Amino acid sequence: MASDTHAVTARRPHTERRPHTERRSRTGRRPRTGRAGLTALAVVLSAVSVFPVLWMVVSAFKTRSTVTDGKLIPTEITVQNFVYVFTEVPFARYLWNSFFTSAVITVAALLFHSMAAYALARLRFPGREKIFMAIFATLLVTAPVVLIPLFLVARELHLLNSYAGLIIPAIFNAFGIFLLRQFYLGLPKELEEAAIIDGCGHWRVYWNIVLPMSRPILSALAVFFFLANWNAFVWPLVVTNDEALTVVQLGIASFQTQYSSNWNYILAAATVAALPMLALFFTFQRQIVESIKTSGLK
Amino acid sequence: MSSVAAPDRTATPASESVRRSRPPGLSRKHREWVAAGLFLAPDVIGLLLFVGIPMVLSVAMSFFQVSGFGSYEWVGLGNYERMMNDPLFWSSMRITGLYVVVLVPVLFCVSLGLGLLVKQKLPGMGAYRTMLFLPYVISLVVVGLLWKFMLDDQVGVVNRAMRAAGFDGRSWLGSPSLALGCVIAVMVWVMMGYYMIIFLAGLQEIPNEYYEAARLDGAGPWTAFRTITWPLLRPTSFFVVLMATVAAITGGLDLVFVLTNGGPANGTALAIFYIYQQAFGFGEYGYAAAMGSFLVLIMVICSAVVFKLTRGGRFDDGE
Amino acid sequence: MLQHGNDAGRPAPSRRRLLTAMAGAGAAAAAPALLSGCGTAQAKGGRLQFWNFYGPQRSPDPAVNAQSAWFVDMVKQWNATHRTQIDLVYIPQPTYLNGFKLPSAFATGEGPDIFLLSPGDFLRYYNGGVLADLTPHMDKEAVADYGSALDSRRVGDKVYALPMEVEPLAMFYSVPAWEKAGLSEADIPTTWDQMLDIGDKLRSGTRAGLVFETNPGYYQNFTWYPWMWQGGGDVLDERGDVAFDSAATRQALQFWQDAVRHGIAPRTLPAAGDVISGFKAGNVAMWQQGIWQVSSFKAYAPDFPYGVFKNPLPPGGTYRTALGGWSFCANAKGRDPDAAAEFCAWALGSTKDESVDRMVEWCTVAKSDVAPRASALERGAAKGGYDSATMKAFKDDIFPGGVAEPRYPPVVYKAISDAIQGTMLAGRSVAVETERAAESIAAYTRSYKGASLI
Repeated sequence: MASDTHAVTARRPHTERRPHTERRSRTGRRPRTGRAGLTALAVVLSAVSVFPVLWMVVSAFKTRSTVTDGKLIPTEITVQNFVYVFTEVPFARYLWNSFFTSAVITVAALLFHSMAAYALARLRFPGREKIFMAIFATLLVTAPVVLIPLFLVARELHLLNSYAGLIIPAIFNAFGIFLLRQFYLGLPKELEEAAIIDGCGHWRVYWNIVLPMSRPILSALAVFFFLANWNAFVWPLVVTNDEALTVVQLGIASFQTQYSSNWNYILAAATVAALPMLALFFTFQRQIVESIKTSGLK
Repeated sequence: MSSVAAPDRTATPASESVRRSRPPGLSRKHREWVAAGLFLAPDVIGLLLFVGIPMVLSVAMSFFQVSGFGSYEWVGLGNYERMMNDPLFWSSMRITGLYVVVLVPVLFCVSLGLGLLVKQKLPGMGAYRTMLFLPYVISLVVVGLLWKFMLDDQVGVVNRAMRAAGFDGRSWLGSPSLALGCVIAVMVWVMMGYYMIIFLAGLQEIPNEYYEAARLDGAGPWTAFRTITWPLLRPTSFFVVLMATVAAITGGLDLVFVLTNGGPANGTALAIFYIYQQAFGFGEYGYAAAMGSFLVLIMVICSAVVFKLTRGGRFDDGE
Repeated sequence: MLQHGNDAGRPAPSRRRLLTAMAGAGAAAAAPALLSGCGTAQAKGGRLQFWNFYGPQRSPDPAVNAQSAWFVDMVKQWNATHRTQIDLVYIPQPTYLNGFKLPSAFATGEGPDIFLLSPGDFLRYYNGGVLADLTPHMDKEAVADYGSALDSRRVGDKVYALPMEVEPLAMFYSVPAWEKAGLSEADIPTTWDQMLDIGDKLRSGTRAGLVFETNPGYYQNFTWYPWMWQGGGDVLDERGDVAFDSAATRQALQFWQDAVRHGIAPRTLPAAGDVISGFKAGNVAMWQQGIWQVSSFKAYAPDFPYGVFKNPLPPGGTYRTALGGWSFCANAKGRDPDAAAEFCAWALGSTKDESVDRMVEWCTVAKSDVAPRASALERGAAKGGYDSATMKAFKDDIFPGGVAEPRYPPVVYKAISDAIQGTMLAGRSVAVETERAAESIAAYTRSYKGASLI
């Protein structure tokens, strides 16, 4: 990376000598045709991406016998599916459970992972690479293989059937550590070094400099973590029995009864579960872009 | 800041000398060690408890015949021997290999392309980003269900479109030759927005001045991509390839369940699915643990090689 | 969980060996904790848990509500008259069957005290030592009343599970689809060839002619067995020797392969497996299904005209169908195995009127099933539970040729499943697949230790 950076920066003085007007004319014309093409491409790709989801939302308004008819425009429209989802089962409670656990996991995970990643990327200590490799190796562990032992550990820690059982084991995941470490490796070091020279401790450097600078990546991670836990199914299923602890994905699954698959209810419930996540992402993606603009990274 | 950032990156020698001139104080080095320990403690303890110990237990379990009802019988390497002679396991490994080799490059190219696209400043870009990310918002079980409807033999949208275009419909999920391709396509659809965001974050890090400079030098978009984007994006690309590969090997279970349940004729029985089936379907926890441990071992070896070659994914001069 | 005072000092010996190995593997710190935690379920007193996939739940489907109410009422009655209290835990059926929930609970000693078991799982649970003997809690008369319905739930002369229902398979057909194709009741097929011909006439671009189960699983095997049995074949003969490689087996595999190859039977289930909407939307003409669909039709599509007929025969064959159905079991390693076993016997296996009436209610009102006890079947018929044409056909024509779902363990199941999947959907050679499956079943039975496979 270093050598490429040199190559590019070496060219810089040359470019700055060019007159302003020429630059404007060059950048002014080409994008116009390019932009139309890019916009068209973005529209088409977005449509492809959205179509199945749109189909889900539309199908949530269909009746049981038309939900599998494969038609985009429903022949009969009903809101009964949604009424049922909210009145017959405590779906609001499920939503709250998922929201609460996902939020706590996300906040704790962002804090812990950014701390660990900061240490792995910036601090010098013996065995640093080995610890990083060990942390990375935990990503390779396949979930179904460790489910039973994990259950045993959770039982010994008295985590079964509790919010703590839903939350604590879900916090620790090397993905976030790895991503943040890669990000911190790319951040310029000068600010931190200056702060250390000024006598700041490592915690203050982390809290006052590194954390604010990593807002964009933290926003992205927050969305990822929140979503992953919002959509969690297997661990909540195994660790809880109490109906009061039911999370939203388990709630969706409960609409499948023995001999009849009520796909219309499942799709309505899935739509209800997806909407807050969409809103979350829509707000956060702005945040991601805006914080990149203000963090002085560009 | 923006104009000085790039040159500053290469200016470490200067600050290095400044730092050295500072009096070392009461073991600055050791303070850094302690700080590192404290910073790492929560995650290291958590990972040890909730991943490390379970994995060790699982490896231990692989030397036992486990009934699934609490009885353990020592069988030594018996489960591993069985694995070596199990054609279904090796067929599942072959399917996993094919799945990874197709899925990862396709996913990589698609999400990098999308990342480059949504980096552009176009009106309404927030909406496009949201729409492209949308599939990831839905849980894999529901995604599987949706596609099951859309790929339905008789009334599915895909077959309707094919018939309207004058082709014959196909049994997408019912033909062994097509089903795995469908799982891969659905997976790309789900994950592209996710890796798009990661690429976007990596792309946003590349200073715009580089592109300006290249453009003024008369470099076309392709040259700019090859000389600036590609090399500077290496840490991100490294991350995406590694994560997508690991996720392909260890994940996707929910989707396979709903779409095909491993069928038709074991055509989508990925290794992870076969391991799941042996453990939770058949109660063969010891055997499943052996196969799982073997899978983890292979991944550990591969990633050790990858890390060795890339110096831990640092892509710099190793400080 | 809360009372862990008396945990220490009762680890199972086999666990200790595992844990020694683990300690060697570096888990020394965690080992003592895990050791003491194992097998504590026995030490816990308190309320018993009954895991099931019926209730309590609320559904827009009146049939589902009635089933849920049946479970709730039963447990309420027990709790009102007994000291040991029981709680129902509802687990949706897909999760109950395919999920992680039950296996991980049993594997860690946290299994339910009372649960529902299908024949396919019987041997695994029995050999695992978690099925409590129900015989001491039952009268001899009640055992006799059950008759052959208990065969696949017995080891020696002891009963380990009590069936709540008997569910025969038959062919369901859509009257509108038949009428559209110019067919009538007189065209009901009696041979495989006739059924394929009619299926061919009935199919269209959006309608499957004849549906057999396509998803790999215990259920697919269950629906395939009758076609093998009809030609006189079986997986194991009456002495327990492997008999899978036979003309009858090859013929049955060939039948399904032909149906799929000629496009008469689809490669995936119509309407994503929702039978009622598949029929209602006109996407299906014939579908091999179970008696339970009768109550689903009644609840969801009461006006939809459909019919049932018994499995057509291969040349020279004898009529057979498969009888499914779930049973109540008590966990021998649970909190109070004795009380749990007593509950099972009290609920379904007592000579008292309320026990028989409960079964009548379940099989004729809450669901639509054949009652496994002779007295309940009689009483249900007397109450008019089998008066409808469909239920009458099931009781008098379809059920009498039934064979109980076999209790083959996973390896045997998987070998057969691979043969069915390979021939039906991948077009592989019937002879080769049959031979391969027979070999792996033979290899397994040679080393198998446990209760009789048949």
